[in-house]
Amino acid sequence: MKSNNDIMIKMSEVDICFYIQENGFVSLKDFLLNIGKYKFLQRKYVLRDINIEIRRGESIALLGKNGSGKSTLLRAMSGIIEPEKGKIKVNGKIAPLLGLGVGLEYEMSGLENIQLSCALMGMSKAETRKLLPEIIEFSELSEAIDWPVKRYSTGMMSRLSFSIAIMKQPEILLIDEVLSVGDIGFQQKCLRKVEEIKNNGATIVFVSHNFKEVEKMCTKGALVNNGSIEFFGDINEAGKRYDQLFIN
Amino acid sequence: MVKLTFDKGFRNAVLSIAIKTIKLRYKNSLLGVFWSMLNPILFLVILIIVFSNFTSIENYALYALSGLVFWNFLSSSILQVLTSFIDNSSILKSINLHPFSFPLSATLAALINLLLTLIPFFVIMFFLGYQLNWSLLFLIPMLVVTSVFILGFGMLMGTLNVFFRDIQLLWNTIIPAFFYFTPIAYTADMLPESSRGLLKLNPFYYFIESFHDIFHKSKLPQMNNFLMCCALALVSLVLGYWVFKKYRKGFISNI
Repeated sequence: MKSNNDIMIKMSEVDICFYIQENGFVSLKDFLLNIGKYKFLQRKYVLRDINIEIRRGESIALLGKNGSGKSTLLRAMSGIIEPEKGKIKVNGKIAPLLGLGVGLEYEMSGLENIQLSCALMGMSKAETRKLLPEIIEFSELSEAIDWPVKRYSTGMMSRLSFSIAIMKQPEILLIDEVLSVGDIGFQQKCLRKVEEIKNNGATIVFVSHNFKEVEKMCTKGALVNNGSIEFFGDINEAGKRYDQLFIN
Repeated sequence: MVKLTFDKGFRNAVLSIAIKTIKLRYKNSLLGVFWSMLNPILFLVILIIVFSNFTSIENYALYALSGLVFWNFLSSSILQVLTSFIDNSSILKSINLHPFSFPLSATLAALINLLLTLIPFFVIMFFLGYQLNWSLLFLIPMLVVTSVFILGFGMLMGTLNVFFRDIQLLWNTIIPAFFYFTPIAYTADMLPESSRGLLKLNPFYYFIESFHDIFHKSKLPQMNNFLMCCALALVSLVLGYWVFKKYRKGFISNI
């Protein structure tokens, strides 16, 4: 039996870098002329010395200015980015919802796209087949599911990709500002679905700039600023500190 | 970071991307898979008109066609593997699927595409005088080895291409030169003895000559050519995977 105190995500002394060509090589010629003079990739620290423990059933809001490294933090948790230093331990099935419309092929139908996206997320054909009716129903696309996605409106596209991403009951759900999609009705439906996943015992890490939305759902907040987590604790306190960033 | 495991999920993802690639290539086109045949056939006609008077080689048309088909396979699939990381940048940034899946599925798609076109090409080859024989079975190991070479070499160039987009331009520029550097329009023994050795510096030489042996000479490839293909495939896979592994951490920041 897993207790409620299980640590689902643990990051200890994690540094995360971007690897860029600081010398501004834009072409192979420059590179070849400068070979040996510089290191090929320069490190640029985005996050430094991150320590965080997220427990089972917790829902955490990540707050911070644009470009503060919130998305990078989520990418590191989901294993898309490797840390330069430190350890990231993830305990459970993780579903990163980092961008909508990722991997959608415009020439293919909604249905074909569901099958493709499910495969990309590591689902087997059998799992996909089982989830298919649910996904289609949740998206409310009805007969449009057989249209090529290029004929979809932006809202319809978001409905499609959100429905795909949310249906796989994950143990850990990472959400990066993707809930503000579709019309109000669909937005609320999505929030309710996230709530339902949460109530089923999942752990949620949530990036959003809409504090009201976050406040209701999250128990804790983490403030990301200047490449580190400046505060991690009570959601209201985190919200206050977040607001203070913009006063000065 | 996501570990590379060839589990069910990974295999299903690779296969799905490959099938999608092929489906998309021929979507909304009337002639479909025949487009892949048109280019070699057009070249074949040109080569026959221009070169057949200069060569004494028996059944030049069959020689040229078998070279062209596999030359197209090599050159176009290397390009697809080379650009596979960039083509899938949005997936790379937001789904935790191991990035090795992209060159792998591009190679697989190229191979499936080749197999689809081989069926009608066989018909043409019969018309040109190809006689079915046991050496054809050797096509299977040849295709495996060639695919490994494509995967490794494409992955090597593809990794560099993430950082320097020059690579794909460079590839498009030098590939026509390599076409003439490889005995496809001509045969190796048409060259003067002194420059024949030069051909052996070209890695594509060994592959194309082996396919020539199977289809034109109706015999097994020369053993030293085939061994060279195996060596090239192995070296390029090891080198390509090593470079990919080393610089993979820079993908997200540079794509």
